[in-house]
Amino acid sequence: MSNRIFILGDRAVYAAFIIIVLALPLLVDDVFWLNRIAKYLVFGMLGLAIALSWGYAGILNLGQGLFFGLGAYMIAMSLKLQSYTSLQQGSDKPIPDFMLWNAEPGAPTDLCCITPGSWLWIPFQAQWFGMAMAVVVPVVFALIIGSTIFRLRVSGVYVAIITLALVLLARLLFIDLQPVTNGFNGLTDLGWLTIAGIEFDPFMVATYYIIAVSVCVVLLLSRWLISTRAGLILQSTRDDPNRSRYLGYDVASYQVFFFTVSAGIAGFAGMLFVIVSEFATPTYFDIAFSISMVVWAAVGGRSSLIGAALGAILINTIEASVSESEMFQQAWRLIIGIVFVLVVLYMPRGLAGLARDVLARVVALSQRTGGKDSQSSHTAAE
Amino acid sequence: MFEVLFIGLSLTSVLLLIALGLSITYGAMGVINMAHGELVMIGAYTAVLAGIHLGFNIFLSLPLAFVVAALVGLLIERVVIRRLYGRIIDTLLATWGVAIILQQLIRLEFGLTFFGISIEGLGPGLQNMRVPTFMMEPFDLMGLSIQPYRTFILCVTILLTALTWYLVYRTAIGVQVRAIMRNPQMAAACGIDVRRVSALTFAYGSGLAGVAGVLLAGFRTVMPDMGATVVVDGFLVVVVGGVGSLLGTILSSALLGQINGIVSVFSNDIIARAVVFGVVIAIILWRPRGLFSFKSR
Repeated sequence: MSNRIFILGDRAVYAAFIIIVLALPLLVDDVFWLNRIAKYLVFGMLGLAIALSWGYAGILNLGQGLFFGLGAYMIAMSLKLQSYTSLQQGSDKPIPDFMLWNAEPGAPTDLCCITPGSWLWIPFQAQWFGMAMAVVVPVVFALIIGSTIFRLRVSGVYVAIITLALVLLARLLFIDLQPVTNGFNGLTDLGWLTIAGIEFDPFMVATYYIIAVSVCVVLLLSRWLISTRAGLILQSTRDDPNRSRYLGYDVASYQVFFFTVSAGIAGFAGMLFVIVSEFATPTYFDIAFSISMVVWAAVGGRSSLIGAALGAILINTIEASVSESEMFQQAWRLIIGIVFVLVVLYMPRGLAGLARDVLARVVALSQRTGGKDSQSSHTAAE
Repeated sequence: MFEVLFIGLSLTSVLLLIALGLSITYGAMGVINMAHGELVMIGAYTAVLAGIHLGFNIFLSLPLAFVVAALVGLLIERVVIRRLYGRIIDTLLATWGVAIILQQLIRLEFGLTFFGISIEGLGPGLQNMRVPTFMMEPFDLMGLSIQPYRTFILCVTILLTALTWYLVYRTAIGVQVRAIMRNPQMAAACGIDVRRVSALTFAYGSGLAGVAGVLLAGFRTVMPDMGATVVVDGFLVVVVGGVGSLLGTILSSALLGQINGIVSVFSNDIIARAVVFGVVIAIILWRPRGLFSFKSR
């Protein structure tokens, strides 16, 4: 009986989330806020990706920024070539402006050889290539990293430390490869995403819908994925890898698969983020950013996909509304630190866990009083 | 060649200083303390503040920073870490929160900023610690140019390492620490006050971080987020060396410091750090328990 109410409550939250996200442009007519919210929805996707690997697979990936950053850079390369700044460099073919600044004197103004490694950019002249690579590259990297780590049965904290070291490594490389990546400054002045002749200005309702629909689709697909047989086996490997192994399951395969899916979502999120924010910089590879994602997921609820996504969206929305002045922004970071410590200490299941507890309490109460108003009680718990 | 080795040696000593405290807290207590870098930062700020307001020089600042950082460490242990023993990933996350809190307290000058009060040496800006001039001028010794400050760091590191070794392997409390390291339940059953010893161990490790902070302040800019980069380096050293092994920590900081020094001579700093990360990842994959380790909890 109470179990059915939980399932209903869960579905209600998902439905409410999707309806609100899709209906938001009707309520908010300020495109700047819409653009901001689109960014936070992307962060919500990152929170979801963390919950998928951490909450469901028990893999704490402190280097999720690696996949986000890779996805971001891939699409940014294509959009950079579409930018007006790339078409004004005295060549009939687009050349990123920073390459001219980095070129050796006398180098031909062509993507093939203007700077060492600039040929890597050639296929990115096609936008679909950048879009595809934004998911393919993170997935391939995750496959290589994941299969190395999990076949060797590295687990727990060591996964966290390896992924942390990897994202730092990527950050150093992207800064060092100045002629290809524009180093510290990253890729800025990007062009707009163009699909079927329509240019998607980041401050446009249509662009918001690209993000909103993507987030909803990813959310539903992930939810479906964890309810499959593979998802259930994965959760058993999280709870006791040895027992699952003795039962005959190839633990590493399940871990690699979900690690890769999580990375693919992060890469996709990176692509969407570039579309709305119009830049890609090495800050995506900062440790602080990767750990922030974990903070969002932890506050929202590490073992709830929608909880983690809502955690990310809530924290960022509140942050944006309080950060009117520099001082309040600093104070907000202090509050986040305190909230995070409190959540880890006293509420390890996050807001989602809290919501479930409240729902359980309400159900117990209504059963005790013998009332049949369970319908109203679970809507109250949302 | 000697100069290359010396660069590596001074990198080693800084790494070792940072990793020493971490090795104790991680090894003995199974706590991943992400706020370790912030304890280093607090040590550095103690030196800056004591220099401005009390006129302390670096020699007086060292013991003061030890005490201040140890007290902050004790507070962190009492308030946060005590509740998380045995939940290693949670200690990582909670201490990350603690790290943010400590950084923001320095940025906001403990909240005084809101009342319009400003203390010289705090706040979001960059700070510097003055080092006596005689320590900054290189002198010649048998045809080699010796930098006094680097040599000073090296000496302090050696002293602290020796002290730590003595405490862990030659004193009564060291025996208790090692017992807890192997098996906390059994240690408790033998009458060791695990809580008290753990708290003291954590305070000592934090104090070492404070000393490292003072020494770092001599050649790096002091700022609220200086700890963030430091803590990762420290962790890599500890993990490579093997959890709970003092010798492993010393050797792995030597290994990583020398790799960093040698590669940076032949290419650049960024590539050197990249190579170090690569080596660390390879070692963790090859020997997840580190180069020197025994079976522990």
